[in-house]
Order: sequence, then structure tokens, then C-alpha cells
Amino acid sequence: MKLNRRYKRNIRNNLPFYASATVLTMLTLLLFYLFYVAGTGINEFGDSFFARNRCEDATFSAYTEIPEEAVAELETKYVLTMEKEHCAAIDEGKYHARVFASNRKVDLYELQEGHDLSSDGEILISAGYAEEHGLGEGDTIVLKGREYTIAGTFLRPDYLYMVENVSDDYKNVSDFFLAYMTAAEFERQFGTGTINYKVIYGEETDEAAFRREVNEKYYMSGYLNADNNKRITFVHEQADMFIMSSWIELVVFPLLTVALVCILLGRRIRSEQKLIGTLSAMGYDRGRLMRHYSLFAVIPGALGGLLTAVLSLLLAEPFGKIGLADYEPMKPDFRLPLWVAVAGIVIPTAIYYISSMLRVRALLQADTVELLAGAVGNDGKSRRILAKRKLLIRRKMAVRQLIGNPGRSIVIFAGIFLGAMLVAFAFSFLDSVDAVGEKAHEEFGSFKYEYILGTLKEGTPEGAEAVLAMQFEDLESRRFTAMGMDKDAELWNLTTTDGKRADIANGFYISTLFEAIFGVHEGDTFTFRSIATLEEHTVTVRGVIKNGYESYLIASREIIAELCGLPENCYNAVLSEQALPDIEAEATEMITDSTYRTQMENMKQSMAGVIDALMVIGVIVCVAALYATINTLISENAYTISMLKVLGMEDGRINSMMISSNHLLLIPGIAAGIAAAYGVMYWYCVEFVEVENIMIPATLKPVSILLTAALTVFAYAISLILVRGRVNRVNMWMR
Amino acid sequence: MAFIEIQGAKKQYGEGEAAVYALDGVNFSLEKGNLCVILGPSGSGKSTLLNMIGGLDSPDSGEIVVDGEKITGRSKKELTGYRKRSIGFVFQFYNLIPDLTVEENVQVVAEIAQNPLDTDEILRALDIEKYRYRFPRELSGGQQQRVAIARAMVKNPKLLLCDELTGALDTKSSRSVLRFVEKMNREYGTTTVIITHNEAIAELADTVVRIRDGVVASVRQNETRRTADEIEL
Repeated sequence: MKLNRRYKRNIRNNLPFYASATVLTMLTLLLFYLFYVAGTGINEFGDSFFARNRCEDATFSAYTEIPEEAVAELETKYVLTMEKEHCAAIDEGKYHARVFASNRKVDLYELQEGHDLSSDGEILISAGYAEEHGLGEGDTIVLKGREYTIAGTFLRPDYLYMVENVSDDYKNVSDFFLAYMTAAEFERQFGTGTINYKVIYGEETDEAAFRREVNEKYYMSGYLNADNNKRITFVHEQADMFIMSSWIELVVFPLLTVALVCILLGRRIRSEQKLIGTLSAMGYDRGRLMRHYSLFAVIPGALGGLLTAVLSLLLAEPFGKIGLADYEPMKPDFRLPLWVAVAGIVIPTAIYYISSMLRVRALLQADTVELLAGAVGNDGKSRRILAKRKLLIRRKMAVRQLIGNPGRSIVIFAGIFLGAMLVAFAFSFLDSVDAVGEKAHEEFGSFKYEYILGTLKEGTPEGAEAVLAMQFEDLESRRFTAMGMDKDAELWNLTTTDGKRADIANGFYISTLFEAIFGVHEGDTFTFRSIATLEEHTVTVRGVIKNGYESYLIASREIIAELCGLPENCYNAVLSEQALPDIEAEATEMITDSTYRTQMENMKQSMAGVIDALMVIGVIVCVAALYATINTLISENAYTISMLKVLGMEDGRINSMMISSNHLLLIPGIAAGIAAAYGVMYWYCVEFVEVENIMIPATLKPVSILLTAALTVFAYAISLILVRGRVNRVNMWMR
Repeated sequence: MAFIEIQGAKKQYGEGEAAVYALDGVNFSLEKGNLCVILGPSGSGKSTLLNMIGGLDSPDSGEIVVDGEKITGRSKKELTGYRKRSIGFVFQFYNLIPDLTVEENVQVVAEIAQNPLDTDEILRALDIEKYRYRFPRELSGGQQQRVAIARAMVKNPKLLLCDELTGALDTKSSRSVLRFVEKMNREYGTTTVIITHNEAIAELADTVVRIRDGVVASVRQNETRRTADEIEL
């Protein structure tokens, strides 16, 4: 069909439109592919790595050591796999390590680089720390006065997310690592070390009976189910979050872009109504014309999808790695599944195609004479706006450009909105993470140091406050800390959300994070159980204390001690305003007022790649959307521009008449984008509180709002610069 | 010196064997206040000549001077300024801006003119005052052409250029439009050039220029001008 020769010519003549529509389609699909590839890659790697290296179902500790023969008996009796794990903590000042003697049955390590241990002078270290500090095979490291040669690096399934303590909120690879020594070297350095028990349950295991028996015979001092172990659960939780985000992005961003491109395509088709009318008058039937015009629409969808799919196949690896920022250096096989790539090509193409078909069909329902006169869609009342008002014509034209062309104004608004939203979301993420670092300690209280002791003590430490912190779990095995404080404690925040001091001597209070995770509120009863004895307790919540950073139930020391069957003046943690070297020496963990800030700084550094990518994509989306729209605006107004030129109007003045009205959309577009970004951040913080185990305060600082506005205005200015020459290029023509 | 002086104006479109000489050395002059009709068949080069005089296009060689102002060899920006200051255009198909009312179509030019006439006066003069809030497509062809004349005249141009201004109109409308062009020429003293292939319109002119194959075939001065009501269209 000769008519089809128009495709090539039309594309050549409207290259800016097709290029920007293709770029828009590509960018938004890229976001979808990026998160999908990262999520599925991590999930697949996690499943395979956990199975290959026999990831634990639970870990526990006991006051009395369980003999090897008793371990074997328990394994047989409860149809499970159980292993004693020996480990030791070393603090070398600049760095601290958790050293293990290697396991044989549960939580096996997997060598990443180098070779396995072959002598007592060798050591294996965790891969994340090695990568962070540029260490590798042949380098040396000093532990407990002895210099060890690094034989290689490893990953292990229960430490793919390297939090030093389970209560920490972010990984630490800056000064903390895991290490393996030979069994002989471990014994020489640490004796038996600290013993933990690792368990993999069989399908028929009666877990509760097993735990009761262990507790009765060996006095369980701690029990952590894999489902509550952040180091393990975070792998799938974050991967699932990536996948969910990818689908949300597919719905929100590409569909917005698709809508945007559809509107532009529709307007282009309308601008060809005289030709459509002519072809119709010549006898072209509706179906043929619909197919002809719809194929124009296929170009940006198919080309954008195809280019993105090809790009994604090539970049799947670096894409995916951005998603690995929080983990140990895992090596997932990042690839774009064929069906997702095909969906990315087919969905936008089909939407563009159908939208164009409907547009042509709607046009062909109009009278052919009207089409030939180019009058379809030109009879809106909006054209009469200000017709009888004495105003400068350029102002009238500006208002009509804005109100008389709602589709075009919506597209420009959407471009500004999308760009501002992506940029503001990136800033909001940084601000919210900062807010955790800045505000967390205020919500905890006025102490500067918190020491977690490995043992129970009685009495009250001098110059400090005593805390009894015991682990419990709800009936769904979700862990939390029950904290016992002295009723006159001052260093821990005991102010309830209604501003009163919590009466902890007479009942139980919860933190706001606890309230969010467990869905328990003031006045509710809450049933939980001891992780050792599984004995259940039901209490009534008297109030809520504002603390979005730790999930705890709090009462007086006496009440918590009674729950645990311990003497009433027991404690196992200490709060103080100054450093206490004696207590620090025997502490297993120390939290300072800068701990959160450091963790959040690490999180920001790790996420820098994603954040920067988001900002760049935001600016490009904004530029591409505005460039495409303003190009369309100029094409649609070519006749008027031509006439204004003939009449002697300068290009600059014409530019200002035709385009300047769109400046008015900048402020609402930016404002709506910022509001939407804050809304998405707020939703994320609330929705993922259980995954993150922290109530991140959704924050957007004034300086970030200003920067968002500046970047969006910058993108807008770039798009104007790009189209500036278009008015100059409109030819003067007369009939 | 004459108001319009054209010497050796040449314009070629295309190159080599495909080259077409739209103007092949045009020479003629026109006095101020004159009403000139340029006659010629289609493709003779008359529209090209009008575009040159109006500063829409430039000759490849030769010289055009309007009111002592040399317009050849000027930049695009200078030509825009020239059109803004000096030229009023009227086209065969009116070329009004469809999104503007009658009044706004006239005002859009008045706003950029240095010494515009009063819009109301010009609308009255062309008897289109009652249509001032209508849009072009709500008017007949003759009415639209009167709006186009009003738009051209409101800037009080030195030179009114009309390209086949009755080409799309019926006899009655054509006569009405020509009556207004005459009126503008007479009352405002605006030098007027009309290009047409309609021989009858030549009787309105002071000067009649015939163009054929890109050159001036003849120049004739009418001893007496006839009015639009007197000619046979």
C-alpha cells in the first residue's frame, strides 16, 4: 500500500516526538526491570544458597552445655539436625570479629575467593568486610595478638545480611567481620568459646516439645527462630520488597508514561484529521485507516520496549548489583526472564496501539466534511475564554493554550509531576534515613551508653541504671524484648504518647514500634510466651511510649523478673551517661548515642547508587515528557506560528506567547510531585515497618524541597532550550 | 526615487536540470500611494515577486528598495522588523488565526505595530464591527477577507500586499472586498499591490504590471481608475 510509505517519512519528520516517547517508555520500563531483576535474582540465590549450605531453622543457647551424645539423642528423638557451634568475640579496637570453628551440619560456609584453611596460621574472613577494606588471599590480619594470613573469603547463610547484633538496624562491614580458624587454632585461642546450638527441624519435629525438653534439662538462655532472625529473613523480605516495588512501579510510572504518550499520539492523530477526512472521502474504509494510524503508535512502544529489553539483558548484572547494596557480596544470576521482557514490549505497545485505534475510530465517527475542514475537536467553549475581555492578546492566547488544551496541559503537568516526584522521593529517602540518625536517640532517652551484659547480675550498678532485658515471643513466634526498669529510672524515655510518665510499677507499656508490629494498642490484652519455657502470659497494655526504633514491652524490673522467675533485683543491661570501662569489659554489646547515626550513614552510602539513579531518571523523564509535549504544541500551532511570523512578530515573542503559559504549571506540578513523593515515602515507612523493624519517620526537609524544585525547573529549562529552535524552524507559508 | 524600486531580481528554485527560474531579472518601479495590479498566469512568478517585496523571501541576485530602504541582503531578524513596520499582507485564503476572534485577529497585529490605527475604527471602516467576537470559521469567505484586510491595515502599513485576494470568493464578495481595498488606498494613502490572474481587476489600478516566465512583460499606467462597482468581475 502506497500509504505505508508515510511511515518512514512521518518518523523522519517527527523524530523528536518519537525519540522522546521512546525514551520515556524506556526509562519507565527500566525502573520496572531493574527492581524485578534485582528481586528475583536475590530470591533465587537465597533459596539455592540456604539449601546448599543448610541454613538453620533456629539457634539457641543454654546455661548448661548439652553433651554430644545428648545432641545425638535429641536429633533421633525429634527427627532434626542439631549442631554445637563454637564461637568467640574479639575486640581489637579498630575492628571486632566473631570467630567460629567450622560447622559440619548446619550453617556451612561457602568459599568465595582463595582457598580453604590448610594451616593454623590461616584464617578465612567474611566477604563483605574483605571487599570493603580491599583484603584478599595473602593479606594478614591480627587477632588476639597473632598475625593470621587470609586464605580466602566466605559467605554463610545466617549472615547474608551482616548485622552485628540482631537488634541492629543496618549492616556493619566497616569494623565488624566473621572469621574461621582451624579447630585446633580455635581451641588454643579460645578453648570451647561460646556455645550456641543450631537446629534444622524435620517435617515431623514437634518443635514445642523439643524446646520444652531442652529447657527442662539444660535451661535455655536464648532462642531465635530463623523467621525472626533478621540476618536470614532480610534476604527474602528485601527481595520480595523489590519485586513488589517493581510491580507498583509498572503500574504507576509506565502507565503514567503510557497515558502521557497516548494523549500525545491522540493529539497528533487529531492534527491529521484533514488527511484522514481526505482518505475517507477517497474511499479508504475505517478499518484500514485505523490500522494505518495505529501502526504509528506501535513505534515508541515496541522500540522503547525492545531497546529496554536489550539494554536490560546487557545490564542485568550491574542493575541487580545495585539491589545488593545491603547484603554480603552475593553472586546471584541476574537475568531478565523472557516473559517479563516480552511483557515490557507488548504491554505499552498494545496500549499505544489500542489507544490510537480508538482515537481514529472516534475521529471517523465525525462528519467527513468537518474532518476535511479540520474542525473536529475545535469547537470547545474554552476557545471563547476572555473573548470579550480587554486584555493583551498574548495573555489571552496563553490562557487559552493552558485551559483550551486540557490534554496537552495534563501531559505537561504529568511530566513535571513525574520528574519532581522521582527526585523528591530520592531526597525524602535520604532525609528520612537522616531523621532516624538524628531522632532515634532522643526517643530512647538521655543515656549515652547502653551495655548489654552476657550474664545476669543482682543489685544496681554504681553511677548507672540497671535494666533487665529478656526475650519473649508472641504466639506466632515473633520476638520482642521485655524490659524491666527501676520505677524512678531517668535515663530511659518513659513518657507516654499522651505526655504522662509511664507508671511502670503498676503495669505494662509498649513502644510505638511494638504497637505497629504486633497490632496491640492501649487497653488491649496481649498474650506472649517465654522463649525458653514456652510458658504463656497475658497482660493488659496501660499505655504507649513513643519509640519507633525498638519493639519492646516495658514494666518495672520486679514485674519482668517475676515473669522470668528471677530474683526481683536482677539486671543484664546497664544505661549510663558516661563511659563505664569496667562494665564495658564484660559487656557483649555496647550501643552509644551515635550507633544509629553510624548505621544510617552506612545505609545512605550503600543506597547512594539507587538514589542517584532515581534522581537522574527523574530529570530525564521530566525533560523527555516536556520535550515531547512542547514539540507537539509547536507542531499543532505551526499554522498560527507561521502567520505570526508573516505578520512581523519576532521568534522570541512567539515563543513566549505559545510556551510561556506552561510556566504556570510548574508550581502545581512540582508541589503535587513533592506531595506524592512524601506520600509514597510515608506509605513505605508504614507498610514496611515489620521488614525494616523500625518506624522510619517519613521526612522531607525544606532544603530538599528547594533542591527538588530547582532540579525540576532545571529539567524544564533544558526541555525549553531543546525546543527553542523549533519555533525558528517553522516556515512561513501562505495560501 | 520611486517608492518601490526593483532591479534585476532573480530567484531560482532547485539546481541543475531541475532548476526553475521563478524570477529571471525583474525590473520595475512604483510610486507612493499607487494602487498596482500585477497580472500573470499561474507559475509566472508573481507570488514570488510579492514575497520578495514583502520580505518573506530574498532574491538570489538583484536589488529591491522600498521607501528608500534596501531590503535585499538583510538578515531574517531585519526582515521580520521590516514586515512589522511596513507591510500589511492579505492572502487568498485569509490566513486568519483560528483560535482568535475577529477583534483579536486585528489586535494581535495592533499590539506589535509602532503606530497602529484604532481597532474599532478599522473594524467600522470594513463593516465587520458586528462580528468582532466571532471566530473566523463562523464567518463567510468575504467577511473573513475583510477581517484579513483589517488586520493588514491596522498597523497603518506603508505597503499593502494582496495575493489573489478574491481568488476564493464569489462575485458579490469579491466586489465588496475590492471596494474596501480601494477605500483603504484612497482614504489612508497606502501604497497597494494586488497580484491576480483576473484581468478585470486591472481596471482598478493606477499601474498594471504583466509578468510572464519570471520577467516583466509590460508596464501600463491607467489614465483613469475605475471603481470596484464599475468593473465586470
